[in-house]
Amino acid sequence: MFNTLKKKLFGDNSESKAVAKSRLHFVLVQDRTGLTNEEMAGFREEMVKVIEKYFVIDKEGFDIKYHRLADTTTLLINSPVIVRRAGSFGSHSTSRNVDEPEGAAASNI
Amino acid sequence: MNTRSNGTGGKKDLGEVIVITSGKGGVGKTTTTASLGAALALRGQRTLVVDADIGLRNLDVILGLENRIVFNLVDVAKKICKPSQAIIKSKKSNNLFLLPASQTDDKDVIDEAEVRYVLDQFRREFHYILVDSPAGIEQGFRNACAGADSAIVVTTPEVSAIRDADRVVGLLSSKGIEARLIINRIDFDMVRRGDMLSVRDVQDILGVEILGVIERDEQIIVAANCGEPVTYNPKSKAGQAFTRIAGRVCGESIPIPDLSGGSLWGRITRKLGVST
Repeated sequence: MFNTLKKKLFGDNSESKAVAKSRLHFVLVQDRTGLTNEEMAGFREEMVKVIEKYFVIDKEGFDIKYHRLADTTTLLINSPVIVRRAGSFGSHSTSRNVDEPEGAAASNI
Repeated sequence: MNTRSNGTGGKKDLGEVIVITSGKGGVGKTTTTASLGAALALRGQRTLVVDADIGLRNLDVILGLENRIVFNLVDVAKKICKPSQAIIKSKKSNNLFLLPASQTDDKDVIDEAEVRYVLDQFRREFHYILVDSPAGIEQGFRNACAGADSAIVVTTPEVSAIRDADRVVGLLSSKGIEARLIINRIDFDMVRRGDMLSVRDVQDILGVEILGVIERDEQIIVAANCGEPVTYNPKSKAGQAFTRIAGRVCGESIPIPDLSGGSLWGRITRKLGVST
């Protein structure tokens, strides 16, 4: 009862707007990057593989975003890291903040 | 980027050229050009609106000047007439002028250099020159952008219009033209119901500064029927929105309602911790 009233009074984001948002997100990624669906899926899969080589990650939370700033488009890869893989860094000592819960990499495309 | 430093008149004497574009057709470019032009003129700014939609002109009709056209943009570009012979003063304001498009030519009858030449003929006489771009991203669009100092991208809160707007913003950016966004035909009831993207949603998706928000308003149709910009109707919400947009174009800081705390009701519910 309260929920219906709340929905009526305040609106509900789970309606068609959410569908529009996710469709736009999908189509704009394609438009901005020039990659096909298959290429995008492939890119995502390979990125996960690369990161998994060094970290145990939460695949559910893995997310690739494309942000357009003033004059560049930025690729933001957000990958929640559960734990650093033991011994995987060996001779590499470039990475420091590996114990942080979240790792993010940004690059201009 | 802009050509303001030419000649000896000094930079401040040259008007600002703003292209009004969208990618998708039918989102309100021409209405925006006419209404914003009228609003700027009401503020005392000498304003020229240019119809760059060669072959499909309509700005003359929206302004009610269709029966006064003698020469047009192509005539000025080809030096068939003097620049001053082609512009038409609006019925309601001494500050608002129209440079009509040619109705019989193709879009590629003129090129970008010719458009720049035409704009340079008027920069000294006007504070603002608004160029109404045709839909699409082909030659007509490139012509309309030639010589523009900045751009206004018009969109509606719909998937197809936003997608095209994104493409156009990218193209403008590659030309070094900064774009600001007008969200047209928003229905705040639908936004509240969750059936329409909000101003904030559109801004988040496109990442472009919002210049203004225009509510869906029947008075736009009434104004178009009569050939008078909706700006002259003080009761029209759309007309009021264009007046505010003109203020922002002139550098005034006027908040965008949906981005600055929202409605009173929205603020109360947020204060009470009711999630919306």
